Amino acid sequence: MPFLILFLHVVAAIAALALASRSRAVAVFVAAVAPAGAAVWGLVALLDPTTTRSSSFVWVEGLQLGFDFELSPIAALLTLAIGAIGTLIVIYAHGYFAHPEPTLGRFLATLTIFGASMLGLVWADSVWTLFLFWEATSVTSFLLVGHKNANANARIAARRALMITGAGGLVLLAGMMVLIDATGTHRLSEMAPTTGTTATIAAVLLLVAAATKSALVPAHVWLPGAMAAPTPVSAYLHSATMVKAGVILVAVVSPVLGGTDTFRVLSMTLGALTMFWGAIGALRQRDAKLILAWGTVSQLGFLVLLFGIGTAKATFAGVAVLAAHAVFKAGLFMVVGEVDVRTGTRDIDELGGLARSMPITATIAALCGLSMAGVPPLLGFPAKEAAVEAALGLAGTERLIIGGAIIAGSVLTVAYTTHFVLGVFGPSRNGTATTVSPGRAALMVPAAILACISILGWIFDGTTSKPITRAAAALNAKADVYQLINWPGATQAFFVSVAIVIVGAILGAARSRAQLRVPATIGANAADTALDQTLVLARRITARMQHGSLPVYVLTMAFVVAAVSIIFVQPALEAVGDMTVADSPGQLALALATVLAAWGCTQVDSRIGAALALGVVGLAVTGLFVVHGAPDLVLTQLLVETVIVVGFVIGLGRLRRSFPETGARWRQVRAAVAGLCAAGVAAALIAAEGAASSATAPPTERLVAEAVDEGGGNNIVNVILTDVRALDTFGEIVVLAVAALGVVALGRPALVTPKTPISPPTREEVRA
Amino acid sequence: MISVHSPIVAVGVRAVTPLAVIVAAYLFFAGHNQPGGGFAAGLVLGAVLSLRTVAGLYEPVNGSKLMAAGIMVAAAIALIPAAIGGGMLDMVVWSGELPLLGKVKTGTAAIFDLGVVLIVVGLVDSVLDGLGTDDIAIEPVTGEAR
Repeated sequence: MPFLILFLHVVAAIAALALASRSRAVAVFVAAVAPAGAAVWGLVALLDPTTTRSSSFVWVEGLQLGFDFELSPIAALLTLAIGAIGTLIVIYAHGYFAHPEPTLGRFLATLTIFGASMLGLVWADSVWTLFLFWEATSVTSFLLVGHKNANANARIAARRALMITGAGGLVLLAGMMVLIDATGTHRLSEMAPTTGTTATIAAVLLLVAAATKSALVPAHVWLPGAMAAPTPVSAYLHSATMVKAGVILVAVVSPVLGGTDTFRVLSMTLGALTMFWGAIGALRQRDAKLILAWGTVSQLGFLVLLFGIGTAKATFAGVAVLAAHAVFKAGLFMVVGEVDVRTGTRDIDELGGLARSMPITATIAALCGLSMAGVPPLLGFPAKEAAVEAALGLAGTERLIIGGAIIAGSVLTVAYTTHFVLGVFGPSRNGTATTVSPGRAALMVPAAILACISILGWIFDGTTSKPITRAAAALNAKADVYQLINWPGATQAFFVSVAIVIVGAILGAARSRAQLRVPATIGANAADTALDQTLVLARRITARMQHGSLPVYVLTMAFVVAAVSIIFVQPALEAVGDMTVADSPGQLALALATVLAAWGCTQVDSRIGAALALGVVGLAVTGLFVVHGAPDLVLTQLLVETVIVVGFVIGLGRLRRSFPETGARWRQVRAAVAGLCAAGVAAALIAAEGAASSATAPPTERLVAEAVDEGGGNNIVNVILTDVRALDTFGEIVVLAVAALGVVALGRPALVTPKTPISPPTREEVRA
Repeated sequence: MISVHSPIVAVGVRAVTPLAVIVAAYLFFAGHNQPGGGFAAGLVLGAVLSLRTVAGLYEPVNGSKLMAAGIMVAAAIALIPAAIGGGMLDMVVWSGELPLLGKVKTGTAAIFDLGVVLIVVGLVDSVLDGLGTDDIAIEPVTGEAR
């Protein structure tokens, strides 16, 4: 089934891409079917929790590489959320984009593939599968954030998001490998709780990965910038999907690594800091969408904090807030998108009188906002109650710190929610009413559905809590006793909640009137600068390493050979005593001829003379092969020498007759390095000879037997080449072909020089 | 032009060509039991191409198609055994009696070697083409470093 649904997504993406230019309605319908199918499957799994749903496709047996999917209760809940919200987003996008919109096909296709990546991520049971889909969400979200590719800001924001989440992906891979080492299995469902140094390292790495994906401080800088994306993207990525990936990771590994202090302390610290910083960021914004973006950062911190605590109650609260947040945040983003489309601005200073001109939208915003603030009668209320109870249920110092953080964070959440709702729908600064264009059903209905779900989820608290309890119990077995309660009565947590709402509302109302305007882009600028400087550094290194001087390249290689061969000097000196000068006079003569010709090659002034001297070197070496009795080598060497001579004739005809004049010092340097290199090679050869003479008998006999048996030929060399070691030969001929392509390219410089150098836009271009 | 316009060279190269092709064929088939093989055969053919180029009898072309064909032949020999359930690069040996030639023995290794021949000939052709393109003037080297 998982494979079928993923396949359905791919087909839907291709179909939407192909159909969008012909029939918009059909393309939207097709793109909505795939996530709807996923939602139905998630719902079926939630209604029938006794059946285990898992499937695997093994790709490489021995390495356990393959796709392993398992629909755990939490995965089922998330599948429902991803699928259902995905369907609503597609419908919403239909209303959001202009008619006609040339990029709609690309948008729907990317969104569908992104949805599929997200589903694969939550289903993944093998760490490899998890990593693969994690990276897939990074890449597809990069495409979605940069959807308006003509806009430099969108491109920069997309690049920033990709770099930060991509770096996190690498850390995830490292963390997963350490985790496998610590637990001995690659299946997440089979991992037993573990502690110790390895577990601590894994915990740190995985939390870093989660922090980049889920925009935890200080890696949160990419998220506000990602608001350059079309609003349907923001509504999808920052409610039920993308940013939840890190939270899901924390939730999934918390049963395994929760026993290590590092995991608990680090996740709670990161979570609490992010919750604060995000909420403060939200209060500083005047752009309605950015308020929500920073609010999302804050909520993600809240979630990581809850999963980091690790108690059953906190895990239950975490799952509940996760579900509630997906619903209300998607709705709020949709509201912002509608306001943007209908008024042309998102600046809360310019917006005024919308409560009167857009009453339905205002109602939806109020409902979703109240759910975010944790006020009844909405789903956010029992979720936040559970969180407050979990905090109050802790003991000692932890109760004080965690409880204080959650309460303070909640106060700020109520404050920025008030700031948002009053700012967008309240009166404008100068009291004028904004002109509003007529509404579209496709923009309003999805948000209205989400607002209704928030209400219904609160009314039928028993039905809502079943899947949440089950999902929490899958993470922490003790969590199965907890329930969402829509009206708890006069408990301690309830009074705390009332206080939170009152204080937060006063704070938010005051903030909404204040004149302060602070751009919170310092972190983003720092991230961009770091990236730009990396590129500058890379360019500098490339310029230094690839300077284009052939003699210097050759000298560098020779120098490295000389330097490396120092390690052979000692064994060479030991071996030299056992050596004979030459096996025969002919061998000695040929060796001397080789050396003389090589020396002559460096001394002649004319190029053709040097080529001829090189030919003599080759022939003398051929002669040595003859003396050694290696006819195959002789034949090949002779033929190669012949072809090379013809090549030299052709090539040298185009160059000057003599070598260019060079300075005496330069010549000395070259001679010195060449001498050192030659000495090094000689030392290495002598050392090898010494080692070989003391080693066991050469493997010739085995090779002969193999050649006749396996290859059915008597020429061992060729049988080895074409049969016994045919894979090596295959690799070599591919290398040969690639080298030939390189020669052609070098011979035709005009074909390979790009017309204009490619470089990213500069800061000035972006500002313009 | 990279060719020399000499009738003597042209006639000589013309006369050598068929002989060289026969030598190449001999080396190719002899390779299984004696010195030779695909690489040597390809080099002989490559030398013929070079000589004909110098003599003005042949205009080098980009040999990338020949090389691609060679890689495909070799890859097919490598992958087909795997596809029909054997191991990658499993070689089959055929032997039998042929009229005139008597007992012969060959196998898929020979086809693999044919791929090597194609690649080597393509390589030489490419290099000749890269060295000797007339429409692009290669600037004489004037200094050590750019």
